[in-house]
Amino acid sequence: MTVSQGNSSSQSGNKKVLAALLLLIPMVVFAIAPIYNFKGPTLFGLSFFYWFETLWLVVSAVLFLFAARLLNSMEGDEN
Amino acid sequence: MLSVFVVLFAFFVGLGFWASRFRKGNLADLGEWSLAGRRLGVFLAWFLVGADLYTAYTFIAIPSALFANGTIYFFAVPYVGMAFGVAIITMPRLWKISRKKNYVTAVDMVHDRYNSKTLTILIALTGIVAELPYIALQIYGMQAVLTVMIGQSVTADVGVISEIALILSFIILAAFTWTSGLRGATVTAVMKDAIILVSVVVVIIVIPLTIKGGFAGAISTATAASPVINGAAKNFTVLPNLLLNGFMSLAIMSALALYLYPHAINGILSANSTKSLRTSTALLPLYGIGLALLALFGILVYASPAAMHIIAPAYNPVTNTMPTGSTVSNVLAVPALIYANFPGWFVGFAFLGIFIGGLVPASIMAISQANLLTRNVAKFFRPNMTSEGEARMAKWASVIFKFIALGFIFLISASSALQLQLLGGIIILQTLPAIFLTMYTRRLTKYGLIVGWIGGMGLGVYLAYAANVHNGVFKTFATSLFNFGAPFGPMFVGLAALALNLLLVLVISLATGGLKNPPAAAGN
Repeated sequence: MTVSQGNSSSQSGNKKVLAALLLLIPMVVFAIAPIYNFKGPTLFGLSFFYWFETLWLVVSAVLFLFAARLLNSMEGDEN
Repeated sequence: MLSVFVVLFAFFVGLGFWASRFRKGNLADLGEWSLAGRRLGVFLAWFLVGADLYTAYTFIAIPSALFANGTIYFFAVPYVGMAFGVAIITMPRLWKISRKKNYVTAVDMVHDRYNSKTLTILIALTGIVAELPYIALQIYGMQAVLTVMIGQSVTADVGVISEIALILSFIILAAFTWTSGLRGATVTAVMKDAIILVSVVVVIIVIPLTIKGGFAGAISTATAASPVINGAAKNFTVLPNLLLNGFMSLAIMSALALYLYPHAINGILSANSTKSLRTSTALLPLYGIGLALLALFGILVYASPAAMHIIAPAYNPVTNTMPTGSTVSNVLAVPALIYANFPGWFVGFAFLGIFIGGLVPASIMAISQANLLTRNVAKFFRPNMTSEGEARMAKWASVIFKFIALGFIFLISASSALQLQLLGGIIILQTLPAIFLTMYTRRLTKYGLIVGWIGGMGLGVYLAYAANVHNGVFKTFATSLFNFGAPFGPMFVGLAALALNLLLVLVISLATGGLKNPPAAAGN
């Protein structure tokens, strides 16, 4: 029991770091506008600035969902 | 158009009444009226919180701001993307703390922790006041739809039409909130979102195909027309370097602000578990795709001469000229674009979506205000109120607050509708230390939080005023960006105000002993 406890706590530590990264990456990219403030390449006549941000919403939802799953599973462990 | 709108609206109102019987609870009890008895699962919670996203902010304010000012107001897209990240980090913790200690509002937590009447009332009133301009924005949205609908059905003076539209919107909002409470708002939110999602999907597919030249053509038309229509050339392709800081500060601060609003927290506390809360929040950025496309309609509309005729009747698209001083109603951008490009029945359908898209969130906001007033302010003065008394007071308060919200309509003109929401943002950000930081640390003191609030609010109000006073004249609140000079340039007032607030909270907490001897760790 003590052995597996140590093991699971380091595992949950890893999960925490991974969840934090999954949450922070989409936010940091959105926050730093110079990353996407370009004219080209264009898509449907829209500059990169517009379509990248819109596409990034989808990427964010996917990464957030993975983060939510991780955090939810940790909560299950605790209870 | 009109008949589809009226029939659907009648059905919607019927649903609102029926909803007050939904999963029967005692509506005379405040917790029942305002938190729907804490029984909402993933699906309904997603709709309820999503309902807060497709509002007049999305349909009216952001597209009209893009129409008038170009790329900078596309900040709404990174804003919603980041806001849900902030929510996944902070809100499950608030939910847990609240469930454990039986809090109904975030201010309950502030009161319990600091045991300070002054701080509690200060934070509660800040929440109440910050909702007012946000509600006013919703009323503007409802008004915009009615203005186009009435204006295209009868011939009358534009001023008279928009005043009638305003009064009608207000009466409908007050009556709706009074009768159905949060339960009604939740059930009708499902209908609202269904209508809105259908409208959004149809409109974003059809319009770019209908408009000659598509997005590329519209962007070059907008670039050519904007000096004539907006008085100065605006950039519709990328952000000019000068506006980068403005864009980033608006996006980041709005993301931090969203989940401080009482109505957002109210929605969070209605969820039935932290797991459903995380999952439904993670999916919310998908709602932002519709927001992004609707924002672009503010540019597409330049390429639709029929829609431009509704927005700026005196503008001549062939010669690209307009007599100086002509009316430009940029709030009408999206309604005009829909009206000009769809058959009447679909216009009625989509307009109903936009109309209740203002109505339902405004109602949710008013309920959360009333909740704060009864629980966190009135309790100090009338400690022995019964729960029936609380519910009665909350209902009356929700009506009175809507009248006060109307006051903001006189302060801020419809053409800068977005500024209403940003003004609310400057105000609500000043509760960030008391609400977010309190969840994570016990090292702050009530003195620190009070002084921080005073400093932040003072600076916020001063900068907001200074940014809008020209030659000593304050006409309307037209911008929330203050030019801080090199190397910062124009930035959102809320950023500077929050920075000062946080600095004061830390320094004063340190001086009053808060940081030296922390009691046991926070939260759980």
